[in-house]
Amino acid sequence: MGYPVLNVQSVTMAFGGLRAVDDVSFDVKPGEIVGLIGPNGAGKTTLFNVISGYLKPTQGRIFFHGDDITGKPPYDLAKIGIGRTFQIVKPFAGLSVLENVMVAALLKHPSKKNAEANARAVLEFTGLLDKAHMPASSLTLPGRKRLEIAKALALEPSLLLLDEVMAGLNPTEVKETTGLIQQVWDRGVTVLLIEHNMRVIMSLSHRVIVLNYGEKIAEGSPKEVAENPLVIKAYLGEEMAV
Amino acid sequence: MGRKFYASISVVVLLFLVVPLVVHDTFYLRAVTEAIMWIGLAVTWDVLAGYTGYLNFGHGAFFGIGAYTTAILMVHKGWPFFAASIAGGAMAGLGALIAGIPTLRLRGAYFAIATWALARAIQQLALILDITGGPDGMRLPPFLQPRFFFYVMGGTVLIIFIVFWYLFEVDPFGLKVKAIRENEDGAMAMGLNPARIKTKVFTISAVPTGIIGGIYAYWITYIDPPSTLGDLVTDQAVVMAVFGGLGTLIGPAIGALIISTFKIYFWAYLSDYQVLYLIILGGLIALSVVFMPDGLWGTVYGKIQNARLAGSKEKR
Amino acid sequence: MFQLLPQAIVDGILIGGIYITVAIGFSLAYGVMHVIDFAVGEWIMLGAFMGFYLNRWLGLEPILLFPVIFLSFFVVGLWIQPFIHRVLSGRRGNPVLMGLVFTFGLALMIRGIALTVFGFYSHSIPSSLAQGSLFFQVGPILVTIPLIRLTGLGYAVLATMGLYYILHRTDFGLAVRALAQHKEAAGLMGVNARRTGGHVYGLYTGISATTGALIGCIFSISAQMGPDYTIFAFFVVVLAGMGYLPGVPWAAFLLGFVQSFFLIYLSPSYTMLAVFVALYLILLISPKGIFGKGV
Repeated sequence: MGYPVLNVQSVTMAFGGLRAVDDVSFDVKPGEIVGLIGPNGAGKTTLFNVISGYLKPTQGRIFFHGDDITGKPPYDLAKIGIGRTFQIVKPFAGLSVLENVMVAALLKHPSKKNAEANARAVLEFTGLLDKAHMPASSLTLPGRKRLEIAKALALEPSLLLLDEVMAGLNPTEVKETTGLIQQVWDRGVTVLLIEHNMRVIMSLSHRVIVLNYGEKIAEGSPKEVAENPLVIKAYLGEEMAV
Repeated sequence: MGRKFYASISVVVLLFLVVPLVVHDTFYLRAVTEAIMWIGLAVTWDVLAGYTGYLNFGHGAFFGIGAYTTAILMVHKGWPFFAASIAGGAMAGLGALIAGIPTLRLRGAYFAIATWALARAIQQLALILDITGGPDGMRLPPFLQPRFFFYVMGGTVLIIFIVFWYLFEVDPFGLKVKAIRENEDGAMAMGLNPARIKTKVFTISAVPTGIIGGIYAYWITYIDPPSTLGDLVTDQAVVMAVFGGLGTLIGPAIGALIISTFKIYFWAYLSDYQVLYLIILGGLIALSVVFMPDGLWGTVYGKIQNARLAGSKEKR
Repeated sequence: MFQLLPQAIVDGILIGGIYITVAIGFSLAYGVMHVIDFAVGEWIMLGAFMGFYLNRWLGLEPILLFPVIFLSFFVVGLWIQPFIHRVLSGRRGNPVLMGLVFTFGLALMIRGIALTVFGFYSHSIPSSLAQGSLFFQVGPILVTIPLIRLTGLGYAVLATMGLYYILHRTDFGLAVRALAQHKEAAGLMGVNARRTGGHVYGLYTGISATTGALIGCIFSISAQMGPDYTIFAFFVVVLAGMGYLPGVPWAAFLLGFVQSFFLIYLSPSYTMLAVFVALYLILLISPKGIFGKGV
């Protein structure tokens, strides 16, 4: 236990004059589930894009298990153990569900046979095994979200970044996915998730970080954050059902 | 590799070995040799187009580079044929590496025009330089042995087909390539480096094409810029692959067989209307895309897949 | 040596004007319909031939024929667009790429038909403006501005302004811009993607064909002239930065200048080659175009 899994240090992401992420710093410790919340446009997905290598921060550094990963491309980060899902889910449409997950599994299991076996195991874990040979394009939204998670899991990451996995799901599906995330956490994966669904954040997270206009405005346990006047003000008018 | 695969390959090889013994008319032998050549060209185009999602509308340039390299080496440097044609493939591969660096950064559709423009530039180059004989082209030392070329062309394309089958259907490489086609950003999150993989496929599609070009040069004995570096080579390869079925190896092969057969009869009996051929090619491409986007083989295979899936569902 | 430089610059501006009209229609079609029309050069070629034959049969000054050519090809574009739309709405794989393959086939077909009907000969459209030129002399530097090319520039300015007016001052233009930005949302607001796309495509084919007729007055035309112009259109759009419309005029002038420069200092056969090499280098160094705002 030395380093935090993720250490974000004074990261700023500016597009021209617009600071989508403004001097944000925080840690994610091993074995935590950390929620990242904030009103729309607060910079959460941009922050994810920076952490997962799709954007190079204008300023600041990012450390993963103590190693500097600032500016490294997504494929290198996948290799060292960062997996992520995307808000707008786009599976590999021309491939089957199994093949989708196999692509990810190939990272840690270069042989096709092993990759397939591992992929099947992940599909079973996420409840998609019966659809293994169907084209990924035939899945409905909840199925696609699950597939998205399955693909990230097949990378065998130590840090999982989930970007609004609950968006568009009905309450039953939300409950199932929440259970899935808990099972993932049980296996020892550290989770950082962006969510708008407050119930999910409250029930899952050990800690919550709040962004607004690119800045971090609060950090603490779910209860602390819920009662923080700055946070309430940021969500002005929105009810935070606890 | 499955037993079915070995069985089919054995049948093909057997047929292939037998053909020249049975077919004595050189016209038909040459026709078959040409059809086999087009299988090679259509398949090499498809691994970049159908599998990776990058349309190389300058594919013919690889063919021409191979042809000219072979011609120059044999005529000016006295190289033997086999070495010269391999060198042709190597030059084409080098061309792919050089051209690939800036063009593969462009998204799929712009890549198409960029490669097309580059290919035209290479044709211009061949028209200007002395070493390529300019507009008069080059004559290679004559070696009129139709059977020899049948075996060389056939053997080469067969090897290409088997290697590609292994690389793109058996080895996980094919899966990675398809992932990049479907969603490049998503593929990056899966640990794949798109630039590296695209460059690999680009080169893999170029080298065999160059070798085929080299064989063609020695076979036909005469090459000039319009015939080997013109758009026509690319146009035909594209039609055959699209018509046959993108994203598979069998599709382009079938497309190549059908269209080159049609072409040989068309040209033999209607040689006044070679321009009409362009219209038919273009029309075929456009119509296939609108009405049969999966191509002949793709549509048939799709129906088989659906029946299989439906069948397995009913078993429960 | 440098005495020729001002002429090169002027030539570049004049030719650049033509490139602007070619490129603007091309990137408009891409922006709205998300199709890269491989046949842009062929539309130009067809317009040029229509201008040639109309001028021959009717004996009218070609510039007067422009509206006729524009309208004819507007209709043709309107007729072709549903096919493109169908391809682009396909569920299979990659609709944008299939759209490109479709226009590739279309271009091939049109070129084949043109070769069959028009043969392999080159022509030129006689225009009364082709005779005159303006001359400017400052010391030893002589600059010649052929009237017809000046007309070309004027045409380009008019066409660009007209397009701007349509896009930013009419309801139709609003629909077009909405469609370009977000197809589904625009649809929800009542914008019929198929019909609006059709009108845009028609506008684009109309402009391209008319530009072709203009080109016919300045340069020679042949059934094989299409591909070079397709490449020019592409060059300009990539130079400007793909999807970045404001960059188009600058990129067009730059390309025009580069071409004129090479034309004056090198022989014609090397010019195209030099332009290709220049573009290759630019792509290598700055793939997002000269403004770095490409996609």
